[in-house]
Amino acid sequence: MVVLLQLLLNSLITGSIYLLAGTGLTLTYGLSRFPNFAYAELITLGGFVAYTLLQHSPESFWAGLLLAFLTCGLVSVLSYRLVFSPLVNRRASLIPLMVASIGLGYVLRYTMGEIWSWSDLGYPLVWTAYNWGGLRVTSLWLYLIAVALSAALLLHLFFKCTKVGLAIRAIATNPDLAQVSGINLERVILFTWFLGAALAGVAGVFRAADTQLYPMMGWDILLPVFAAVVLGGIGSFYGLIIASYLLGLAENVGVVFLQATGLSTEYRMAIAFLVLILVLIFRPRGLLGR
Amino acid sequence: MDPLFYLADTLIFIGIFSLLSLSLNLEFGLTSLGNFGKVAFFMAGAYAYTLLAHAALPPYLCFLGGALIAGLIGLVITLPALRLREDYLAIVTLSFGEILRTVVKAEEGLAGGVRGISVPAVFHLGSSRADALANILLTLGCLALCFLLLQALAHSPYGRVLRAIREDEVAVKALGKNPVYFKASVLFIGSCIAGLAGGIFAQYLNFIDPTMFLPTVTFLVWMMLILGGAGNNWGALLGGVVVELMNRGTRIMKDFITLPVDPNNLQFIFFGLLVILILIFRPQGILPEGPVKTAARKEAQNWISSL
Repeated sequence: MVVLLQLLLNSLITGSIYLLAGTGLTLTYGLSRFPNFAYAELITLGGFVAYTLLQHSPESFWAGLLLAFLTCGLVSVLSYRLVFSPLVNRRASLIPLMVASIGLGYVLRYTMGEIWSWSDLGYPLVWTAYNWGGLRVTSLWLYLIAVALSAALLLHLFFKCTKVGLAIRAIATNPDLAQVSGINLERVILFTWFLGAALAGVAGVFRAADTQLYPMMGWDILLPVFAAVVLGGIGSFYGLIIASYLLGLAENVGVVFLQATGLSTEYRMAIAFLVLILVLIFRPRGLLGR
Repeated sequence: MDPLFYLADTLIFIGIFSLLSLSLNLEFGLTSLGNFGKVAFFMAGAYAYTLLAHAALPPYLCFLGGALIAGLIGLVITLPALRLREDYLAIVTLSFGEILRTVVKAEEGLAGGVRGISVPAVFHLGSSRADALANILLTLGCLALCFLLLQALAHSPYGRVLRAIREDEVAVKALGKNPVYFKASVLFIGSCIAGLAGGIFAQYLNFIDPTMFLPTVTFLVWMMLILGGAGNNWGALLGGVVVELMNRGTRIMKDFITLPVDPNNLQFIFFGLLVILILIFRPQGILPEGPVKTAARKEAQNWISSL
């Protein structure tokens, strides 16, 4: 029973990271119609800026989250303005946009490598560990789950109750119609790029706090994040919520299975790939995609 | 060190990367298929070659077998994504590159895992200079062969269908051609060529391990094609030469110039910026795609010049 609970808790933790990291990816993918591979580096960037703040004042974890939120959002908006907006205006097709995002990823990744070095870093923080009748929990995990779920709830309210939220949904459904209805396309897109990357930065802080921080950190979770985005249906936020936790569950169950059969737990990543391929074969539009 | 070895190394690496860039040109330049996992098929070819060579097969069969295995893997992996929009293919191929590396690393019994595996050399001509020359001939010979094949393909009716798929898939379907068949065959041929490049790479280095097949290889190949000119085989070739020379240039510069920043970091920041700037300011690359050469076109030109 405790083993089962631990499995569910671990799935909740994994899923929460994917949810935070994938929200921006799926929203900007839905709006701008191309996958931004530089999201990997935005996740990592969040981890690094918080690391620098924690070096100076180890008590300010929450301030670190806020700093990561703002920095990543800003870098994302800048990258849209400087890199993607000129390409979109030139009517660049899908593949050049993806290549540009990979190029941007290299610029960001190696800049981070230059600033923060290529070695593994850890946060100078110790989390309170609880033992609830055999169930192992740390305060960090509880924070992560709480932040992910409240972000999901806030976004839900945002999409349903605010004008900007409505505008985002309108553009995702039909950009031309949205524009003739008087929606400022550029402004809404920029807002989405900010918010999405900001949440990816938060995901990066939690990932770095839970494991290790290095310039390839974001790249190493990009595959499962993409799998969650495709499983949920590209552009679908609600699909992503379900898909993130489903994938988290699949991965953690998979790891138990791998251990039982004596296979390497390195194959954990292959589970996301398997899910990705199965979705493409049987339900390419994803769980809740259009 | 004998300058011949440095020249051989440069030429062989130019040859290997040009093969990769040419294969990407067939996929992306002509057919608009975004293969973001080029390194996976390169790796598949390198490991398949190595395993076949360890089974004591004659070298030509190892090269052929390596290429075919890479081609088949390319076909099977991309098949689920081919009916869908082009970004799905990008995600699948990119992910597959990571997965293949994970598998090779985890399966120690297959090919040495993280420790790597030695590859028997093909040439034992008595002197290392003669071996180096033979390796140059082998690599450039394969490159010339593939170049001629791809050039013929690009200007054949088959190549014209590929360009048509790139421009307007619906129109191609309306004319009774099945785009999925063409895309699948392109990915098979492209992966075969990448696999051949992998075989040459493994054979030349006499040793391979999973760290040689990082996603950066894929990025460099894309950079070659974007810089040289997508859609033009000469552009793919030029890109291979230029990027490989830049790569070597920075490696030499490291020994002579002391910079306040790590030259390796600087190099990749520069490469990333270069790709972005080319895409924004010169998306057609250095050598843009030329018109298709057909018999009818030649006839028409003769007619015009005779007027």
